[in-house]
Amino acid sequence: MNIGKIWNYISKPEVVPRLFAAFLCLILAIEFFVPTTYYGDQLYPKDTPQGQIFKSNLAPYDRGGIPLIKPADIKTQYPQFEPIKGKITAYLTPLSLWLSEKTPYFGTTIVSTPGGILDEILYYTRGMDTILESLTLLVSFMIFSWIYLNRDRVE
Amino acid sequence: MSLNIDSIAGAFYGYVPFGDIVFYFTEFSLIGFIIALFFTLVVYLTKPEKQLESQIGDFGDKLNYVSLEELKIRRLMAIICGICTAFAMLTGDLFDYALFLAVIGIANMGIVSAVKKEGVLSAAFYYGIIAMISTLPLFGASALILAKTGTLSILELAKNSHDLLFQKIIYAVGMVGETGIAPFYAAKAEMFRAPGAPYILMIHLSSLLIIVRTVEIMLNIH
Repeated sequence: MNIGKIWNYISKPEVVPRLFAAFLCLILAIEFFVPTTYYGDQLYPKDTPQGQIFKSNLAPYDRGGIPLIKPADIKTQYPQFEPIKGKITAYLTPLSLWLSEKTPYFGTTIVSTPGGILDEILYYTRGMDTILESLTLLVSFMIFSWIYLNRDRVE
Repeated sequence: MSLNIDSIAGAFYGYVPFGDIVFYFTEFSLIGFIIALFFTLVVYLTKPEKQLESQIGDFGDKLNYVSLEELKIRRLMAIICGICTAFAMLTGDLFDYALFLAVIGIANMGIVSAVKKEGVLSAAFYYGIIAMISTLPLFGASALILAKTGTLSILELAKNSHDLLFQKIIYAVGMVGETGIAPFYAAKAEMFRAPGAPYILMIHLSSLLIIVRTVEIMLNIH
């Protein structure tokens, strides 16, 4: 086997994803058999799937608490940096309050996200993550719209 | 819980808390931050290069230049990429760092997406596929580390030993894919052939800084 042929083969851009995918499969196949443990004292405790459903209309986001009276019991890494911890999750807009009385699936609907449920973990303790997630979407839409609007442009 | 600053490598200069996500300054991260921001300023201020392509065995050289509307989108993407690289140097949270990598990956594709050249665009497409499939090991490794240790903060993970070798391997594989297999610049060599020097070099610089920063994180958590 000539090594020059191998170099030429892997220099093509369309080959690289295949090689990387094969490499990834190899790594993940090995890692699948590596024993690991689960640490019980989790930072962001989560109910079992379907654990909250039908107990609360805000299903995955019900963290307890009464708006403006009693803050919810939230576990965070650095409580000293979060002076109003637990109060954000208890907030619902009037529209989302009305909707949440109508359906038991309010927490999983799309209206629960913008201006509906303000989730503590998403918007306060880990707010930077939410900014970056939206930024990824925003940047991809910027690229797409630029390509679409300039599709007829010729060099 | 008090902020653990003793186990982090290098002198600790300060921190900026955003809730649970704490941005911290050490000698290393401060230098990376300043380099990335300085280069972002360079990208903002300089005009792109013009390439003159000689035709071998033929007359008529070809002038490649970046038009104004193309310049605007590419400069914007390069600046987003630079700012994200700068703040990825500082972040003290594994999941936040993975998200910074995702933004940098998509901004890298944005830098070359405006170039109307078949080779460049197909290379960017294959780079995009690698970046997409590598989100699985990257975010998966963050989830595995959270499940195994119960925390995502690099400062907390640096405190005790957690036996994270295999999780760190998956995380590193995810980083390798997200920065386009950067040590070998797979599919990126073709992307570099696009005209417009400072914007293209931002792809290069962000990959290099991200690799060094990932190595620093992998050495810090254990």
